[in-house]
Amino acid sequence: MPASSRSEAATADLPVRSSLQLDLSRPILIAVTALLVVMIALPMGWLIVYSLSDKQGTATLGNFVTLFTDPSFVDPLITTLIIAVSVSAICCIVAAPLGWLVARTDMPIRRIVRTLVMASLVTPPFVGAIAWEMLAAPNSGLLNQLWRSLTGMPSDEALFDIYSLTGLIFVIACYTFPYVFILVANALDRMPGELEDASSMLGAKTWQTARRITMPLALPTLLAGALVAFLQALNLFGSPAILAIPAGFHTLTTRIWSLFQFPPKPELAAAASLPLLLLTILLLRGQALALGRRGYAVLGGKYGEPRLVRLGAWRLPAAALALLVLAMPLFLPYAALFNSAFSRVASRLVTLDTITLHNVRFTFLELSSTMPALKNTFLLATLSATLGAVLALLIAYIVARRAVPGHRVLAFLATAPLAIPGIVLGVGLFLAYTRPPLTLYGTLWILLIAFITIELPAAYQQLSSAFHAVHPELEEAGRMLGASRLRTLADITAPLLRSAVIATWCFVFVAVIRELSAAVILFTSETKVLSVLIFDLKESGDVGAIAVLSLTMVGITTVVVAVANRFGGGREAGRLHARTAG
Amino acid sequence: MAAVELKGLTKRYGETTAVAEVSLRIEHGQLVCLLGPSGCGKTTTLRLIAGFIEPSAGEIVVGGKVLSSPQRTVPPEGRNMSMIFQSYALWPHMTVAENVAYGLRIRKLDKATIEGKLKAILSTAHLEALADRYPGELSGGQQQRVSLARALVVEPETLLLDEPLSNLDANLREEMRFEIRRLHDRYRYTTVYVTHDQAEAMTTADLIAVMNHGKVEQIGPPEEIYGRPRSEFVARFIGGSNILRGSAIDDARVTVAGAPLRTTGRPLQAGRPVALSVRQHEIAIANEKPQSADNHLPAVVTRQVFLGSVRDYTVALDDKTELRVTAPPGRNIAPGQAVWLHLPAEQCRALAEE
Repeated sequence: MPASSRSEAATADLPVRSSLQLDLSRPILIAVTALLVVMIALPMGWLIVYSLSDKQGTATLGNFVTLFTDPSFVDPLITTLIIAVSVSAICCIVAAPLGWLVARTDMPIRRIVRTLVMASLVTPPFVGAIAWEMLAAPNSGLLNQLWRSLTGMPSDEALFDIYSLTGLIFVIACYTFPYVFILVANALDRMPGELEDASSMLGAKTWQTARRITMPLALPTLLAGALVAFLQALNLFGSPAILAIPAGFHTLTTRIWSLFQFPPKPELAAAASLPLLLLTILLLRGQALALGRRGYAVLGGKYGEPRLVRLGAWRLPAAALALLVLAMPLFLPYAALFNSAFSRVASRLVTLDTITLHNVRFTFLELSSTMPALKNTFLLATLSATLGAVLALLIAYIVARRAVPGHRVLAFLATAPLAIPGIVLGVGLFLAYTRPPLTLYGTLWILLIAFITIELPAAYQQLSSAFHAVHPELEEAGRMLGASRLRTLADITAPLLRSAVIATWCFVFVAVIRELSAAVILFTSETKVLSVLIFDLKESGDVGAIAVLSLTMVGITTVVVAVANRFGGGREAGRLHARTAG
Repeated sequence: MAAVELKGLTKRYGETTAVAEVSLRIEHGQLVCLLGPSGCGKTTTLRLIAGFIEPSAGEIVVGGKVLSSPQRTVPPEGRNMSMIFQSYALWPHMTVAENVAYGLRIRKLDKATIEGKLKAILSTAHLEALADRYPGELSGGQQQRVSLARALVVEPETLLLDEPLSNLDANLREEMRFEIRRLHDRYRYTTVYVTHDQAEAMTTADLIAVMNHGKVEQIGPPEEIYGRPRSEFVARFIGGSNILRGSAIDDARVTVAGAPLRTTGRPLQAGRPVALSVRQHEIAIANEKPQSADNHLPAVVTRQVFLGSVRDYTVALDDKTELRVTAPPGRNIAPGQAVWLHLPAEQCRALAEE
């Protein structure tokens, strides 16, 4: 570092300042590391301790014996695996062709289709499940009613039954395939068109090029997408809780949740959480391997825009297919939600004569839990987003600029929660904070800790890539001109990072608003948030209020996402959301 | 193998014209360079020849067959051409051997033939030792040779090269220029080579077509392009020329900064404005007033740089026109001094009116 020490020597007051910096860096590192260790190690540690204890607290492997022999645990495990495999297969089958159509062909409305698929991600999966209930419940479902009135079938016949394994797989796939789609479409965007051109020049027909060049190159991405879908389906709580429980079966997440219903069995819940945790860690490793081999990085210099494949007579059928796919997560569910929100009877189609604001009035003025839940949600989302962004910014700066020795540990700790499913973290936090010295259960603090922990990896990754985009030479140039380290941070680094910080804040905010799986374990009647309120209203069957609150949630999300996109964080949206299983 | 002919080839993108009525005939076995600054339409022309884009007007004829016209364009895979891309476009999921053999496998040759051809081309390109490597594990020069081998092994009728050397460092670039010429002399494919580097064009080409604003400004052998530039653009773009402006006195003389200069090149029309090009190293610089005033101009040195083998002077004429002069390093004339420039008549080329 001869250059920087020379620049410091040139400025009279710098030696003082830099020695001050040295003094501060170690305590900061220790404080941040300690904070992260407490955030992650404490809940995970108690999780392991509980899983190895019986009710009296003596060590035992009995919980795991129960887990792998009792059919009430083995069945949900098998069901979950069936769901995860089916969902990831369906997602690939739907997302790969759709991604290709949008990125590589001259299909009409392909930009709109791309935007709409991304937009469908603002729907929290459990809201999607509720909407599909309105559409395809065996008796009251709008689609089933339509089918009966068209065919004259008796009222006990149903075309679709959403309360089934197939129904659940379908609904989960609806809100998971966008992740795979975004991965595939972005990979195809980035894949240099010249790689395909080179194949055409050597005489390969379009389909030969597709089979031998495009598909093998896209395969690792698709594999990674399959794993993302698998993980999402594995750790999702909301949709199975809404659809599987009425159908009379459990998935792993709903089974864990059920262990917190009276009488609570936290030891078993802890034991049941571990397979979920291990599977998630393994799959994340697998995903890194799938994307990491053989140097798929772009070689050489400038690449041209890819040429678009001409669909010819298939242009309109392709567009129709894309719209049909979009109807599943978007058009049909929102039609159902709006219908329920503005109609007195949710199972009747609303008309101009029957349209009513009754549900809106009821939800916001009469339902006593709405306002506290909204207040809690906004408070928690604002605090989590602010504290999370500050923490992530601090860690990203330390790691990106190698400000202190041991910065790698911080990077690892900041990304570690990625491997902890929301419901598992919920269980861990419940176990860790229902006891002295920190009895946080029943307060908003425990939810705050949960949300910050869950969102930290995504926030850190986004800010870390933003830091890497600011070349250190930009800071060094400032220091060569006589500005101190803090001054360059304020004058040069901060303005360059501003949009990334705002985007990160927005995405944490959104993710917190829609979080359900950790919140559902940690809430009490005093600390209900919006997602839990919607979930709770399911019990009372107040469909109108559910629709109004769901639309409110989606509305807030949309506004905040739009703000974030204005600040250029739009591209990261997919990756960030990919973490938040409802 | 066959001649490639471009007839009035035009490509428009909305309002802008990327390629404007380019006509060009490339004889069988010739190597033609499309030379020009970025955005001059040379790469678009190449992609039109390759069949990646369709012309807005005009046609491309290869061996008597129309391959491209606004009505019908044969797709790239049906043209039996090969192309070397600026990025090399090596497939990262295939080894060197798989990359090179790809075209042969597409042509459904039998295994033994593929093996034989592959071996031969790998040895020609000095790639035998790298056959099982992936492109990500190769240096830039090695990647370049793989892309050459992949293009040549299929024995194309026409070979297209798109700035093939622009991603290499300076030393390697010089070496590969000769390598490309050597391979061309050996295989004699009809070749179109796109570059913005005049040294590259001079080394490799039989014919150079200088392009600007989508048009071919001048086409000819390297000596002719260098020796007799026809337009101001060509004169400036190829090997540092000074441009002098004046008006014609008669069919071979021009007044520049008040003094008469005899010129070569096209016959002039008295009274018309004329642009002359004179190369920097063709101007002689002297302290003393010469005996004959013939083709001499007075000037003042404004800047002088010692470059080792030469001195690079900037001088100003009486009418403030600045000229660059490259002179032997021995004599040192300081800035501010008055000098006399000798511009030999045979080096003062009258350029076409623009």
